[in-house]
Amino acid sequence: MFLSVGTTVLIIVVALVLIVVFWYIGVMNRLRQLELKVHEAESGIDVALTKRFDMLTKMLETTKGYAKHESETLEKVVKWRQGIPQNATVKEKEEFMSQLNQVASGINVVVEQYPDLKANTVFLELQSAVANTEEHLQAARRLYNANVTQINTIIVTFPQSIVANAIHMEKKAYFEAEEKKRADVEFKF
Amino acid sequence: MPNQFDVFNTKKKTAEKQTVIGMVLIGIAVILFLGMQASGSTGFLIFAIIAGIPGLIFAAKGATDFKKLSRSFKQEVVIPMFQEAIPGVQYRPDYGLSEMEVYNTEMLKRADRFHSEDFISGQLESVQFISSDVRLEERHVEHTKNGTRTYYVTYFLGRVFKFSFNKEFDGYLQVLEGGSPMSRRDFKKVKLESIDFNKKFKTFATSELSAFYVLTPDIMESIMNLEKRNPGRIGLSFTGENLYITINNNKDTFELKMFRQIDQSVVDEFRQDLMVIKDVIVAMKLNNNLFKKAPQN
Repeated sequence: MFLSVGTTVLIIVVALVLIVVFWYIGVMNRLRQLELKVHEAESGIDVALTKRFDMLTKMLETTKGYAKHESETLEKVVKWRQGIPQNATVKEKEEFMSQLNQVASGINVVVEQYPDLKANTVFLELQSAVANTEEHLQAARRLYNANVTQINTIIVTFPQSIVANAIHMEKKAYFEAEEKKRADVEFKF
Repeated sequence: MPNQFDVFNTKKKTAEKQTVIGMVLIGIAVILFLGMQASGSTGFLIFAIIAGIPGLIFAAKGATDFKKLSRSFKQEVVIPMFQEAIPGVQYRPDYGLSEMEVYNTEMLKRADRFHSEDFISGQLESVQFISSDVRLEERHVEHTKNGTRTYYVTYFLGRVFKFSFNKEFDGYLQVLEGGSPMSRRDFKKVKLESIDFNKKFKTFATSELSAFYVLTPDIMESIMNLEKRNPGRIGLSFTGENLYITINNNKDTFELKMFRQIDQSVVDEFRQDLMVIKDVIVAMKLNNNLFKKAPQN
């Protein structure tokens, strides 16, 4: 049984259209999944930032007993006293992290001025916990950036970029960490 | 030490001679047996038996003496050398890791034949460790026209290490040079930001965030360097507060080799194999304050 030329052409055209449709759906789903992963990773950053904020707040409370003025000055560095607002952008969170880092390095300076603090067991435990939250924050930041790299690569690569444009998917912002400020918060045990 | 080596070398030569004589006699017996089959003469069979039985006795004696020599070498030379290199280390040549401990790594599949020896335990730079040589074999059955043949194939021959790893993290993490986890846990493949690391290793974790938490850029680099220094397939498994490392290098460590002169190079090689433990502790920064176990009161 032979098919007519017209039927053959029609089958080829339908097959090609189906391939394009399936490819389009595949890329779209991949982008949506990656976007979800980026959001998940961003909430990981929120959790780590909140933990770090809580720990540093407790540390400031402890230092108040030794250096009230310095602690109150440091408290004012942080923009969001109640933690991270829900609609905060990645850039704003970066800024928040930077403020927390300033507080952490400020506490380090206070510790140098008031050696008695080093003997306070509660303070030492908090210091260790803050170092731990810093590690968690770095992990969350790296995971977020790795996911952003994956999604951005698809968004800018042709022909997937056509799908990304069609569904109005834009490049995601990286969560940057300034190396200098990160170095400042390293604790000495 | 050189005099001690001479004593061992003399004993080794005797064992080697016995083995060689035994093998030659067995070889002659085989040739005579083949001659009998070809000619049909029973005379060949008698000579084959006359050569074969002493051959087997000599070969067996040579092997037994070599094993005894190897054991006394471990007792007299290796143990003091280990204790000098890592004070307080325990080395038990005939003892090994339990099957349960080996399968707790969740990287190795259950073997049909299990063997473990050269157990080492101790503490280095405040990090507790145990290690052992492990051989895992799989049973194969082949059906031929002459019947069924059963044989064992070694799929793991190398070392298994366990280190205390006190960095708190959720979930389970495995870094494998090949294969996939031997576990029913909900492992997901994780892609880290290092392209080189992803090319060399497959990372599986029950939580992506935990993988990024444990595998910092420094640790990834250390794992890459560790792999370069240790030929063979490497696997790392972070479970609870333990870090398991397997090195499948097809090598039976801490064993003397027949027909190889016993000298300082042998001792140095054993020492190098022992110091892989220190290499892991330092390279993986297990001696870092954050990883150390808190002193117990």
